[in-house]
Amino acid sequence: MMNLPRIHTLLKGLTLLGCAFIVGCGGAAPTPTPLSASGLAATIVSSPLTAPTSPCANTFVAHQLDHTTTIQGETVHLYDSNGSGLAINDFDNDGKPDVVLANLNGPNTLLWNLGHLNFRTERLSDNPARAVNAVDVDGDGWQDLVFTHDTTPPTYWRNTGDGRFTQGTLPEITAPAYTMNWADLNGDGALDVVLATYDDGLKQVPGFDWNKMISLVGVNYYERKGEGFTRQQLAKGAQALAIAFPDLDADGHPDVLVGNDFERPDEAWRYTDTGWALIEPFATKMTQNTMSFDVGDVNNDGQPEIFAADMKPYQTDVKTMSTWLPLMDTLNARHPPQAKAQIVENVLQVRGADGRYTNEGYARSVDATGWSWSSKFGDLDNDGFLDIYVVNGMMTEELLGHLPNNELVEENQAMRNKGNGYFAPAPEWGLGSRASGRGMSLADLDSDGDLDIIINNLRSPAQLFENQLCGGSGLEVDLFWPAGGNTRALGAQLILRTSAGGTYYRDVRAASGYLSGDPARIHFGFPANATLQKLEIRWPDGQTSILESPTPQTLVTITR
Amino acid sequence: MNEQATALPGTSPAPLLELLNPREQTWTVLIVLALGLVLGSLEMWILGWPLWGATVTVLALLLVPGVLKWRTDLRRYGLTLMVLSVLLVAQGFHGFEHVAQWFQFHVLRWSPRQSGGLVSPANAEWIHFVWNWTVLLAVIFVMRGGMRNVWAWLLLIWATAHTLEHTYLFVRYLQVLQELREIGITNIGGQGLPGIIGRDGWLVRSAWTHGTIFARLPGLTTAIRLDVHFWWNVGETTLLFLAAHTFLRTRLGGRAASRDE
Repeated sequence: MMNLPRIHTLLKGLTLLGCAFIVGCGGAAPTPTPLSASGLAATIVSSPLTAPTSPCANTFVAHQLDHTTTIQGETVHLYDSNGSGLAINDFDNDGKPDVVLANLNGPNTLLWNLGHLNFRTERLSDNPARAVNAVDVDGDGWQDLVFTHDTTPPTYWRNTGDGRFTQGTLPEITAPAYTMNWADLNGDGALDVVLATYDDGLKQVPGFDWNKMISLVGVNYYERKGEGFTRQQLAKGAQALAIAFPDLDADGHPDVLVGNDFERPDEAWRYTDTGWALIEPFATKMTQNTMSFDVGDVNNDGQPEIFAADMKPYQTDVKTMSTWLPLMDTLNARHPPQAKAQIVENVLQVRGADGRYTNEGYARSVDATGWSWSSKFGDLDNDGFLDIYVVNGMMTEELLGHLPNNELVEENQAMRNKGNGYFAPAPEWGLGSRASGRGMSLADLDSDGDLDIIINNLRSPAQLFENQLCGGSGLEVDLFWPAGGNTRALGAQLILRTSAGGTYYRDVRAASGYLSGDPARIHFGFPANATLQKLEIRWPDGQTSILESPTPQTLVTITR
Repeated sequence: MNEQATALPGTSPAPLLELLNPREQTWTVLIVLALGLVLGSLEMWILGWPLWGATVTVLALLLVPGVLKWRTDLRRYGLTLMVLSVLLVAQGFHGFEHVAQWFQFHVLRWSPRQSGGLVSPANAEWIHFVWNWTVLLAVIFVMRGGMRNVWAWLLLIWATAHTLEHTYLFVRYLQVLQELREIGITNIGGQGLPGIIGRDGWLVRSAWTHGTIFARLPGLTTAIRLDVHFWWNVGETTLLFLAAHTFLRTRLGGRAASRDE
């Protein structure tokens, strides 16, 4: 038995605390190992989060960013209307999250975070770009960028570590893709990627040779093999707008969940000894037009739920319904819903005792957020409960010719988790932007312990919403695992226990929502008077670490 | 009202059947029904008419023996029972309409949009608004004519609530229609929107109830419109038949007692 020192307190101030860390051997169902158990050494660095630069205003404050996603020509057609995504991560390893915004017609934009919400702009021409993820593809410790382009294979921008990116391709990835997500899906320690196409969009592209590409489209799992990837086609077609990797069957391994637009049902696969196998985890209806996914534990029971966004007006007044009826009429005619399997509203899939998921979206009042795009969980008000933010709006001549400028103008929807299982609209947070949002991600961009928001709007400047809500406290965690190919521990699960009760669950992921990459840094919110008891980390390989009594309002960096 | 005229002729154990019996019109009804079904089918298959058009043809043909039967009812039983007879037949058909919708949606698995029943696709809002007010007025009329029992009072409450629901729906329908016209949309009807109760109805979407346990009230805030109105009509038809049965049985008893004297 090893004699490992126990961590009771973390130094305040920008202090480096070298310490032993506790890692227990896991398995299919890992359990926390006592401190006295044998384990791997790890280093913990704890630094205080900065005090807010301005007093709290109980609202978010909007800032305009130096980027506008544009389209070719003056008129927005399907599927230019789907816009582009963004990604947030620390590209220069300076501890501050940077931002990259994709563009359809103009250059992509890199926003280097200089601190205090100041950014240096750099352009990156690689268009048209749909999704962007920031992941360490080559395992060198620097976050690389990967863009999807609808009709051509993704491009790979390698981070050279000196503030530059060099453009290349992902070895042996030849399939076109609309959306993507990264994780170590087969448990070999290397990052794999799932790419999926949006076939309706592809068919509209002039010159796209559908017959030639038919063996490549759909859902493709690319397994990392040495320097390259090997492909396995999971589905021969897709209308994929979102990919997530929840552990649907609770076997301790990530599964693949692909969200399809229109009448094509969402599909899920689990990894088995003989390869990927289709599963049907949902006992009730899924979204018909699945726009985005996110996974989060809304009731702090340690069991994550799945939120999927769709299109449903968030108001039912006469004017709103008159606006929506013509487009619903057209969409229903083009894509009649599969009434027994799909529903045209957001769903919140909650795992039951039998392991199957049932939809609680309507019952918890998160079913209607307009023509939704990126939607994400985040504890926006640091009260210990995950809230939901959804960006929305639409513009296209084909469906919205009855509206001025062919645009459905809606207010983004923030839904506050009331802590009792229900959500309520939170217009007082000032997040109701009327710009046409597409990509969106959350991160603490000013390192003050709360989540800020970046939105990539279509045809209007991107926005940063600075969190100036009052109350609560935060804890942020960065995981580093430089020994393998998964240097930021994508897929790791973190569980925080506090004196406020419940277990706060988070996981490290490359992407969620719609076309939008997530930061590897994890954020927990909790009531200001809560005492943090224990942080448990389940690494992607099943091993478990426990950190006792982390200090509130700190950034904890754990290097395994 | 003429008491002699409103009494039932006989001591039938099933007074409802006695009242609804077409009697001398039976063969006419059967022949007209067969003719209507053939004509309706031809309209649909050869002329491409919608189902509601064919149904209207059948109903229009059935109206002929119906009017003759109800004229006889008027002479034999008086106005109150004649109105009750019409109400029972019409509400029976209306209930069947909702059974058809329910069957189309739940058994045939058509979409809500396709599951319009037999005549509702013509214009569900107008049909139901006019129909429910007519039923309510008819119920009030037969209650004034003597059908006052516990079932009748429950029916009156139920029918009033149902009519208010359809009035709300109808007003919203007209408002939406007006809005659509103002933005130049003339080819969309704006029918089928949620009402006061049911899924996405006012009860669950109001500022006071949004984000509360109201979203979990079984049926009241969770049932889709098709199911909500199926149950509205199941309730209304059941109460009507119970009220009528009780009423007619009493009348029959009064007639028998009077004869014994």
